[in-house]
Amino acid sequence: MAIHRRIRQFFFPSFTPAFLIRVCLVSLFAYLFFSYLCIPFTIQGTSMEPTYPNGGVDFCWRLRYLLSEPRRHDVVAVRFAGSQVMLLKRVVASEGEQVEFRDGKLFVDGLEVVESYVRFPCNWNLPSRRVEKDCVYVVGDNRSMPIENHYFGQTSKIRVMGGPLW
Amino acid sequence: MVIIGIVLAVTVFPSEEKRVRKRFRLLSEWVSKSPGENSFTMLQKMKNIGTLFLEPCELKAPHESLSGSYPRREISAYAGSARSHFSQLDLKLYDLKVDFPEKEVAQVTLTARLIGKATSGEHVDEIHELECHMKKMDGKWFFSQVKVVEVLKK
Repeated sequence: MAIHRRIRQFFFPSFTPAFLIRVCLVSLFAYLFFSYLCIPFTIQGTSMEPTYPNGGVDFCWRLRYLLSEPRRHDVVAVRFAGSQVMLLKRVVASEGEQVEFRDGKLFVDGLEVVESYVRFPCNWNLPSRRVEKDCVYVVGDNRSMPIENHYFGQTSKIRVMGGPLW
Repeated sequence: MVIIGIVLAVTVFPSEEKRVRKRFRLLSEWVSKSPGENSFTMLQKMKNIGTLFLEPCELKAPHESLSGSYPRREISAYAGSARSHFSQLDLKLYDLKVDFPEKEVAQVTLTARLIGKATSGEHVDEIHELECHMKKMDGKWFFSQVKVVEVLKK
């Protein structure tokens, strides 16, 4: 009987002051958590395919780079406009490094970087350039389109909002 | 009485930030286009868009071809030409952050989203972060510089 009462109480709680306070606290916590710490987003576009398919859902974990810096191969969320529009990209080089694409292969400081996450054929060529101070160089995993049609490049670390949860 | 007085004061004498925000509302309203817009409305809106800008206004965009200093007349003409390529257009401006670094100067950061349907049937959905500089002249705020923020630089 006690178990039944507990189950019933769980699904049909009494509207006591304590219950209302609990609801308010949980709502407040959920609002703060999902607005500022773990922001849900939907992926629109094919730039990160096949790692992150178009239409997928994920969360941006804001504390990911609280104590560390974005490193090569990390997937990061870059603030694009306002607080709601983000770009999901992969870090390929850090400040001071030279980035270059030769026949679709990525070279950092003259050395070829093996990228297992790039599954589609790529034939990009991009002359060498140095990543500026306090910046990271980000590119999408899907490089099957012409280089002019892919939005990538260096961005300020300040714009890196965090990383996806999965 | 006190509350009515406060409400009246706020309505009749809006703050500078409200005046700045109103200019963005007007820009959004005049750039937007509803299906079947008549020629008179189109010309009126085209003319109105120019009145929001300082003579000349500087435009800074990642695409070099768009960057430059433009007089009002050219801005109106360019806006009219751009609007004519769309059967429907909706300019949404949000996340406005207004600062006043100097007296009679405002700096506004915002997100601009342009959703439209081209006359060719193509669907357009563009988002950009903008940085706008505004100057106050004769009691009105005008755009003196509009910069499209380049987030990723190849």
